[in-house]
Amino acid sequence: MITKEALKKYANLLMFDMSDLEYQTLEEEFAIILKQMALIGKIEGIENVKPMHFPIINYQVLPRDDDKTFNLDVNDVLLNAKETSANQVKVPKVVE
Amino acid sequence: MYKVVIGLEIHAELNTNTKNFSYGKNDYTKIPNINVNEVDLGLPGILPTVNKEAIRKALKIALALNCNIADEVLFDRKNYYYPDLPKGYQITQSTKPFGLKGWLIYYLNNDKKTVYFHDIHLEEDTASLEGNNNYSLIDYNRAGIPLIEIVTEPCLYSADEAIAFLEYLRNLLVFCNVSEARSDKGQIRCDVNISLMNENDSVLGTKVEIKGINSFVGVRTAIEYEIKRQTEVLNSGNKIIQETRRIADDGKTYSMREKVDAVDYKYFVEPNIPPIKITDDYLAEIRKEIPELQYERIERYLNNGISLTDAQIITKDLDVSNYFDALESLVNNKESARKWLITFVLSILNKGEEKINNLFLTPAMLANMINKIDNGEISALNGKEVLNEAILTKKDPLLLIEEKGLKQIGNEEELLKYINEVIIENPKQVADYYAGKESLANFFVGMVMKKTNMQANPVITLKLVKEELDKRK
Amino acid sequence: MYSKMMIDDLRQELDENKITGEGLFKEANKLAHKHQEKYNSFVTILDNYNFEGTSNTLITNIPYALKDNFSTKGILTTGSSNILKDYIPPYDATVYKKLKEAGAILVGKTVLDELAMGGTGTTGHTGLVRNPWDESRMIGGSSSGSAAAVALGIVPFAIGSDTGDSVRKPACYGGVVGFKPTYGRISRYGLFAFASSLDHVGVISRSVRDAAIVTDILKGCDENDMTSLPDEDIKYIDNINLSVKGKKLFYLKDICDINYYPNKTPELEDILNNFKKVINNCQKIGIEVYEEEINKNLLNAIYPVYNTISCAEATSNNSNLTGISFGVREDGGNINQVIFNSRTKGFSELIKRRFVIGSYVLQRENQEKLFLNACRVRRLIVEKFNSLFTKYDGFIMPTSDAIAPKFNEKTDKLSDQYLILGNHLIIGNFGGYPSITIPSGFVDKMPIGVCITSAVENDALILNMAHEIEETMTYRGMIVGEEDV
Repeated sequence: MITKEALKKYANLLMFDMSDLEYQTLEEEFAIILKQMALIGKIEGIENVKPMHFPIINYQVLPRDDDKTFNLDVNDVLLNAKETSANQVKVPKVVE
Repeated sequence: MYKVVIGLEIHAELNTNTKNFSYGKNDYTKIPNINVNEVDLGLPGILPTVNKEAIRKALKIALALNCNIADEVLFDRKNYYYPDLPKGYQITQSTKPFGLKGWLIYYLNNDKKTVYFHDIHLEEDTASLEGNNNYSLIDYNRAGIPLIEIVTEPCLYSADEAIAFLEYLRNLLVFCNVSEARSDKGQIRCDVNISLMNENDSVLGTKVEIKGINSFVGVRTAIEYEIKRQTEVLNSGNKIIQETRRIADDGKTYSMREKVDAVDYKYFVEPNIPPIKITDDYLAEIRKEIPELQYERIERYLNNGISLTDAQIITKDLDVSNYFDALESLVNNKESARKWLITFVLSILNKGEEKINNLFLTPAMLANMINKIDNGEISALNGKEVLNEAILTKKDPLLLIEEKGLKQIGNEEELLKYINEVIIENPKQVADYYAGKESLANFFVGMVMKKTNMQANPVITLKLVKEELDKRK
Repeated sequence: MYSKMMIDDLRQELDENKITGEGLFKEANKLAHKHQEKYNSFVTILDNYNFEGTSNTLITNIPYALKDNFSTKGILTTGSSNILKDYIPPYDATVYKKLKEAGAILVGKTVLDELAMGGTGTTGHTGLVRNPWDESRMIGGSSSGSAAAVALGIVPFAIGSDTGDSVRKPACYGGVVGFKPTYGRISRYGLFAFASSLDHVGVISRSVRDAAIVTDILKGCDENDMTSLPDEDIKYIDNINLSVKGKKLFYLKDICDINYYPNKTPELEDILNNFKKVINNCQKIGIEVYEEEINKNLLNAIYPVYNTISCAEATSNNSNLTGISFGVREDGGNINQVIFNSRTKGFSELIKRRFVIGSYVLQRENQEKLFLNACRVRRLIVEKFNSLFTKYDGFIMPTSDAIAPKFNEKTDKLSDQYLILGNHLIIGNFGGYPSITIPSGFVDKMPIGVCITSAVENDALILNMAHEIEETMTYRGMIVGEEDV
């Protein structure tokens, strides 16, 4: 059982909050999710299986050469920032 | 007195041309946001592309530090929110770091010590934040620059050990051409983990982490302050809180956050970079590029009769050590090579803050001169003068010897000419010499030197002076 | 009249100068505006003809639509999320770049479920997308607008993205073709990431042939995408007509048997009967069709495994949305408050719920038994299908377990009740398999389809098989109102 307080803590760690109603919906979803995940745990032979992180196995991929560079024009870098100053993105003070 | 136990986490920026996971330029600059592209900004839709050279350099260090090397290249995401982290995660290695369990031998004064490593891995740097009380400015030039992180075990036991080891490590990074490792450019940073324990305890004390120290001086300050602070805490019967602290300009450390609220970074394998096999052939190729490292050179010099002190001086800089090796192979008297390098060459470099590779005087030129001095063709004094002038005027010293006519006179016939003149011109001193003042022989040598513009070989001249004076008695 | 045409006919009209590129664009633009209020396919409709082709291709001057989660430099790209409602990318997605160079003409950016995380077409920030076949029904998602634009005949093809079924399901509900090639066949650079190990770029069109034409343009190794496949020499369009005699397909026996369902509905029965007809058609052209059985526990795990992995990766992939250097920035006393307020206001509640789930499964104390176990079961599923693909050329199933739902019938809330029949498309994402849906008939006046999936890198084969099967039916090229019911 996941409590609403726990869910709120998780949300806040993700840097947002939700309405009470949504926490309720989430609580219900969590009940379903955890039940479903229990199904996963019950699959036979799972302990000896290596987790799959990439859909295609046996890649022949090469890393990139170090010679070519590409940089954006500084105006494009700052294009979508709400506030800028001295060619940098400006934000309210950072709390240590 | 408590036993101090220290572990270090060192971050060094690699000297690649481009960033770790993007085509952005890896370059030190004061102009903000000119080495930035969409990948560095973490814009929606971007994908990482890993830099071949960054991998190579990281593997080189892992090999040089005697690690067990991973069988494939694999990256992970470290997830957290901070304004200097554009993607909201850092691409790093936690599942399969490039190197595990390595070691390095270093000297602290005359003692040989070993540092053990937990792991060596490759990751990317964050953007730079510059702030005041009201706002902060973000410069993304640094975001994505390749960093090698070297994590030691808690196996250092004093600030002196920590610094001595750090100097060796920095030299190794520079020797291997993977990083400039300059503190003033922010290219090498250190986190210090420090705990105190009772001498006879087997369990380590509570660990305190001090983050983001930018210089080796700062490392010393942090360690010394923490020893003092933790000693006071323990002596007054309290417990050390496990926490993260930062060092301030006043030389004190301040609490940042308690470890109780330790951040869960939710590491998982980076799905956009498929694993790349690391072959034995590839590692063998990289291993060949590792130069003879500082410790090995010191051992070699010790075996050749050079003192530990001198060996440490010479090997502090790879280029100086290489210069010395070249010089030694060309001079006839090996001891001269050591003497001249340390007393002459290094003092010039230190005065002018020059790099030895920029020195006009090549090992061959210097070796020539040393040999000529040692076999008497030119006096030591004149020789030094020529060398200094050669550096200033960028003229070949051999040329200068010719120009100045400074060849030392060793020819006995020629010297006798001058000796005879001097004896005739100084009858009083001759009489005094016969009267018993044997030391006046040097007076006559001096007069001959004057006449010959210091070019007379003093040893031969002295011998001839004595002979002549005896002859005429 | 142009709305009914597919690429070859449009090409002919253009090449014979019966219409100019700009003329064709204007027709598409007119239709886009005409249908916009009712069906809401587009976030942005471009009103200027802009040709940037550098070579003559089959799609030169052909209009198309692009899902609004593909980065287009200088053109608003929102991911159908409020937090990006003003975002103008400074770079192009690789597929957009290729389409520009091929001379295709962008008509507009289409609506999606917010940040591609949904399957109803109802969660985009500019409103829901209506199914052109029945406006009281959804067209599914997340490539909702792209499917609607093609079904309406506004454009002959559109680009979407498919993470669990997001090109194929809406294509099926829209009565059109939806093709998801092999993972890495088309570069993902510039596609807003939902779940990186599951995301694919896909093509929606009204014929398999058109899907092949467009995929030929889009495929290729990309130096910006390390997961992209090496180039191959073949063109899919050249292999589309090959004989499929002797090819072997299988379907899941129980799942396609009406008697397996205790709560069967007439709708489900019709869908499964239609499927039987398609199987017959396959056999008539020489394809051998077999039944196979797969452990139900494994099949039932598909949906939970998908939720676990996709939510986890999505949470991480969307951590860049903070309002700091892009995205809507809310005020706050310090930077943490700014990030907090921006994310609280900018994300819809559904997305936030997904993120919390994703974060939960990755937490240190949960990761092993939740996230990593899901990754293990993924491998078991993929290994099972890989071994089946050594015996068979493909796997054929009804695309969906239902016709397009009515708006009040389905939400994006996680459901306790799900049918394997409604989730098997995910298998194509787990294993990176090429997978295509083609319309196969009507039930209750709504289009349904069949989906064929094959082993990795069998893109040419699957397009070939789909094309031949499509030829046995009469649903190729239909737009709403022109169907042969």
